[in-house]
Amino acid sequence: MSEPRAPRPNLSADVSRRRFLKVSGGGLATASLLTMLDARQAPAQIKGTTLRMLKWSHYVPAYDVWFDKFAKEWGDKNGVTVRVDHIPHLELPARYAAEFAAGAGHDLIYFVGQILTGHYYRNLIDLSDLADGLGKKYGGWLESAKSCALVGGRWYAVPDFFISIPVLYRKDLFASVGMEEPKTWDDLRNAGRQLKPKGHPTGMQFSRCNDSNHNWRALMYCFGAKETDPSGQNITIDSKEMREALRFGKALYDEGMTPEVFSWDDASDNRFLASGVASWIHDAISAFHSTRLTNPKVFEQTFVVPEVSGPGGKWNVGEPNVWAIWKFSKNVPAAKEFIQWIADHQKEAMEASLGYNMPFLKEQYKKPMPYLGKDQKLSALQDQEKITAFFGYPGPMTPPAQEVLTTFIVPDMFTRVARGGDIEETMKWGVGEIRRIYAKHKA
Amino acid sequence: MTELSAGGVPPSTSLSVAVGGRVGVQSWWRTPTARRYLFGYTLLAPAVLYVLLLVGIPFVFSLYLAMSDASVGVPVAHFVGLENFRTAVENASFYTALRNTIVFTVGAGILKGLLGTTLAFLLVQAFRGRKVIRALVVIPFTLPIAVSVLGWKWMFDSQFSVINWALNKAALIGPYGSPDWPVWLGQPWLAFFSVMFVNVWRGFPFSAIVLLAGLTSVPPEIIDAAKVDGTSFLKRFRLVIVPMIAPILFIGSAFDTVFTLSDLSIVYLLTNGGPDGATEILPTLAYNTGIRGGALGRGAAISLFLFPLLLPAMIMLLRTLRRRQY
Repeated sequence: MSEPRAPRPNLSADVSRRRFLKVSGGGLATASLLTMLDARQAPAQIKGTTLRMLKWSHYVPAYDVWFDKFAKEWGDKNGVTVRVDHIPHLELPARYAAEFAAGAGHDLIYFVGQILTGHYYRNLIDLSDLADGLGKKYGGWLESAKSCALVGGRWYAVPDFFISIPVLYRKDLFASVGMEEPKTWDDLRNAGRQLKPKGHPTGMQFSRCNDSNHNWRALMYCFGAKETDPSGQNITIDSKEMREALRFGKALYDEGMTPEVFSWDDASDNRFLASGVASWIHDAISAFHSTRLTNPKVFEQTFVVPEVSGPGGKWNVGEPNVWAIWKFSKNVPAAKEFIQWIADHQKEAMEASLGYNMPFLKEQYKKPMPYLGKDQKLSALQDQEKITAFFGYPGPMTPPAQEVLTTFIVPDMFTRVARGGDIEETMKWGVGEIRRIYAKHKA
Repeated sequence: MTELSAGGVPPSTSLSVAVGGRVGVQSWWRTPTARRYLFGYTLLAPAVLYVLLLVGIPFVFSLYLAMSDASVGVPVAHFVGLENFRTAVENASFYTALRNTIVFTVGAGILKGLLGTTLAFLLVQAFRGRKVIRALVVIPFTLPIAVSVLGWKWMFDSQFSVINWALNKAALIGPYGSPDWPVWLGQPWLAFFSVMFVNVWRGFPFSAIVLLAGLTSVPPEIIDAAKVDGTSFLKRFRLVIVPMIAPILFIGSAFDTVFTLSDLSIVYLLTNGGPDGATEILPTLAYNTGIRGGALGRGAAISLFLFPLLLPAMIMLLRTLRRRQY
C-alpha cells in the first residue's frame, strides 16, 4: 500500500522561476560546501596542481619522516604534487628575505621561533577565514596564539604548534639533598647550591642561542618583569622586577653553574643531562627523549615539571610555529587546504612528534592528550597552555620585539651580570639598546 | 633599383671619388689598431660584466639599502640619508664589533702569514711524498666551511672537548669541572682566540700555496748566488725572495684580508658573536640586525662600515704593486 502523498505546493503561484533557481542553487551550494567541509574533500580546482612548502628540520627527526609521508598522502588523495623542503630553522629568515625580494618561492611557508608575521603581513595572504573556522571548530585559539599570527585584527598566519620548554630534573639527586619536586625558582637555586659541590651543577645557556632567549625570558616573566606593555609599543623592562631577575640569574650562576654555560648551544644542555652530570636543566623535551636513548639509567631518574613559580607568577616561554602563505604563492587554495588538513590531524602530528608539538587550539587540550597522556612523566604538560607565553609578552611579536630577540639583548644582560657586571650599568646598556631599536621602528 | 659601383657609390660619381671612397674612407673599425682594441675589449668584456653584475650592482644596492628605511617585509623603502649610519655609531655593540673585526683581521692575517710562510718553505724542499703532502695541506681550505666548523665546534665542546681530553691526559689541565678546565667558546678571550684559530687553520694553507707558487718561480741560480755570497736564510728571504715574489704576496694578502674581514660563517657557527659580544664582528652584527632582525637598512649600513676599512688597505696594496711593476 502506498503512503498518502502530501499535497503539492503551488509553486507557480508565489515562486518565480528566477527565485526558484536562486534558492535551490543556494541550497545546493551550501549543501555541497557543508558536505565537502564535513568530508574534508579538497576543491576540484587544486587537482593537478603542485604545492611547494618550506619547513624547518624538526628537533624530532621521526616527525619529519611522518610529516613528509602525511603530506604526500594528502597530495595523492587530492591529486596535488607536494614538495616539502626542510632547512635548519636559523636559516629560514634569510631564505624568506630572498624569496620576498625575488617575489617567488614556496607556496606555503613556516615561521619557527623567529616569527616574521609582523614583518611580512603586507605580503601574506589574509587567513582570517581559515583561522576563524579552526577556532570555531576546536573551541577557540589560546590567547598566546594571537600574538604570533594576528596583525591589526587579521590572521596573516595560522598557528600550528608551540614547543614547550619545561624543567627537567633528576629526582634521585634532588632526593639526595632532601628535596622533592621543585615548585619555585628558589627550589631550583637551592638544588643547584647543594648539588654543584657534589659534582652535579645545573645549567641554562648564557650564550647566544635560541634556548637562552627562552629560558631567561621565562625567569624574567616569573619575576614579573616584562619587555613591553600589552600594546607592544611601550618599553617596560626598566623595572625593579627586571633588576631582581638579573640578581637572581647571577645567584643561580654563582651557586649552581660552571662557566661552560657561557659556551652552550641549543643541544649542549641535552648532552649535559644525558651525561649524568646535570642536576636540572630548563629545556624542551627533546632532552628527555635523547636521554632515554643514550643513558637509560639517568632517564629513569629524570622527571619533568612544566615550569616553576617566581614572585611574579609562573610563565613558560615556548617557541611558536606558524603557517603562512605568500601573496605571490602560485597555489593559495592548495596551501589553505593543507593547513586545514594538518590542523584536523593534530592528534597524529602530536603523536608523531613524541608529544613535542603542543597545540594552539583549546579543544585539543582534552585529556588524555596524544602521547603526553600516555607518559606518566610527561602528563603534567597537558596543562601547559595555561602558563605559556612567547617573546614580547604581554605584547605581540612585533618587528622591534623580533629584533630585540635576534640581537640577544636579554640573554646578554643576564650574561653581563652573571660575569660580575654592575646591575645598573647593565640595565642602562640593555634598556638603551632596546629603546634604540623601538625608536627606529617607530620612526 | 639604382646600380651601385663596387665602392657603394652611384655610377654618376667620378671614379676618383669612388676609389677614394674605398681607400680613404675605410671604416675606422677595420684598421689594425681598432681591431686590436676590439679584440682586447672583447676579451675584457666578460670580466667587466662580471664585476658590474656581481660586484657593482650589489654594492650600489647595498648603498641604496643603507640610506633607506628598508625592512624585510616592506617593498617600498624611503630615503633616510645617513640616519642608519648615525644609528650604528650610537650603538655600543657596534664599537665592540668594530674593534673585534680589526683585531680579528690583523691578528689572523699575521698568524696566517707566519704559518703560511713556514709551511711554504717546508713544502718547497724536496722530500719523499711531497706531492701527497702538498695535496693534503689544502684540505682545510677546500672543506665546506660548515662541515669543518662543526668539527671544531665539537672539539671546543665544553664537556666533551677532545682537546681538553688530550690536555687532561697530558696532565696539563685538571679534570672536567675543575677551575682550570678551559671553556673554549665560553670565556671571552678564549672564545675570541678560538674563532681566530679556526680562521687561521682554514686560511693558512691558502697563504702557503700562494707563497709556494711564488717560491717556485724564483730561479734557483739566484738563490745559489746569494748563498755563495754568504747571506743568511733571513737575509736571503728579506732581500732576495720577498722582492721577487712581492706581486704574488700582495695579491695573496689582498685576498686574505678581504676573506677574513668579511668572514661571517666561522663566528656565526661557533659563537654567534657571544658570549656577551666577545666575538661579535661587523658581519655577524649586520646579519643579525639586517636579516634575522629584519632591519635591512641598518644591517646594510653596518656591513658598509667594512668598506672604508678595506678601501685604504686595498689602495695601498695595489699602488705598491703597480710601483713594483713599472
